[in-house]
Amino acid sequence: MSTKSIGQEFTKGLWDENPVFRQLLGLCPTLAVTGWVINGLAMGLATAFVLVLSSLVVASIKKFIPNQVRIASFIVIIASFVTVADRILAAYFPAISKELGPYVPLIVVNCVILGRQEAFSSKNSVSRSFIDALGMSLGFVLALLALSSIREILGSGTFFGYQVMGSWFKPWIIMILPAGAFLTLGVLLGIALHIEYKIKLRK
Amino acid sequence: MSLYVRMVVVLTVIGLISGSFLATVGMLTEERIALNKQRAIEEAITHVIPDTESSEILYEEKGLAIYGGRNEEGVLIGFGILASGIGFQDKISFMLGTNTSLTTIKRLKIIEQKETPGLGAKIEDEDVFLKFWENKDCSEPLTLRKPAVKTSEELGPTEINTITGATISSESVLKIVNSSLERVRQLIKEGHVQSEQQDVN
Repeated sequence: MSTKSIGQEFTKGLWDENPVFRQLLGLCPTLAVTGWVINGLAMGLATAFVLVLSSLVVASIKKFIPNQVRIASFIVIIASFVTVADRILAAYFPAISKELGPYVPLIVVNCVILGRQEAFSSKNSVSRSFIDALGMSLGFVLALLALSSIREILGSGTFFGYQVMGSWFKPWIIMILPAGAFLTLGVLLGIALHIEYKIKLRK
Repeated sequence: MSLYVRMVVVLTVIGLISGSFLATVGMLTEERIALNKQRAIEEAITHVIPDTESSEILYEEKGLAIYGGRNEEGVLIGFGILASGIGFQDKISFMLGTNTSLTTIKRLKIIEQKETPGLGAKIEDEDVFLKFWENKDCSEPLTLRKPAVKTSEELGPTEINTITGATISSESVLKIVNSSLERVRQLIKEGHVQSEQQDVN
């Protein structure tokens, strides 16, 4: 059982245990769909939808699940919500669904989600799991937004599809290619570690 | 209850609940998803055959579908050829609008592509690639103009401009266009597709 206050349970996902910058989980979608802010945001929200609902269900039924089949049960629950997210995107946001393509079904194997079920929801109350999932989701969305903003501004000269760089700016094509994702993530991780180091020194 | 029975029962129950939940969601969204696909195709036809008021499917096989576009008076004014093939990285599919005698390309619209962003993905770009396809004579197989030129006037009657840095993507589109046109001509000759102009003659 976690001993943190409810507030800490929420905020830990934003920085201390941020899924991308601190736990290095869920890197596949983080790298793959962050070429444009709209894609990063859609992927973040779809993941948040799946994470919050799965955490709620797992925390509610954890007593009935024998330890030996817990991973299988978690995956079935997660996969169901992913399929729901995929269908909803295809039905109501066809353009985004087309853009994200196979990466929506791949949310099933996003380690952030299974990791939270295993590390938190299966051991804590429904309300705590809900707060934890919300915090982690927000942390994940923010990380994706940070990456996709940098990549879209440098790679296309736009932000959310709007031109932000003047006509003098020549887009760095590498930033919207896979290599740009690795470069950006590396730099951001370095900055995150540096800030963490400074905070520790001050304590 | 022994552990083994409990494991089986719990997994079965979770599976059944998830399954029925998904079946419900599937049924609720099915119609809308089909509608979205239908709408995307109709929009593409209206784009590639200007003045289309209504359209219908005339023929379908793997990797190729032929739609007929009709104007206000219900006269067949062109074919929308939905074709797909392999590009540089993955499948490219497009809608090609032609006149009814298959001698002129009216317009081209890319439906789906996963080419390299910034390079091959420019096959979707109107100014860099697609505008060179407008009103192109296609009675002869089309060829690629390399290196690229700036305006359509510099191109020969059957030449299509290359995208600088993305020869393979440009070539792929060209090949799929040529082979699908060939296939449609054959289908018309064999009588699988009726072009009404021939009936009038």
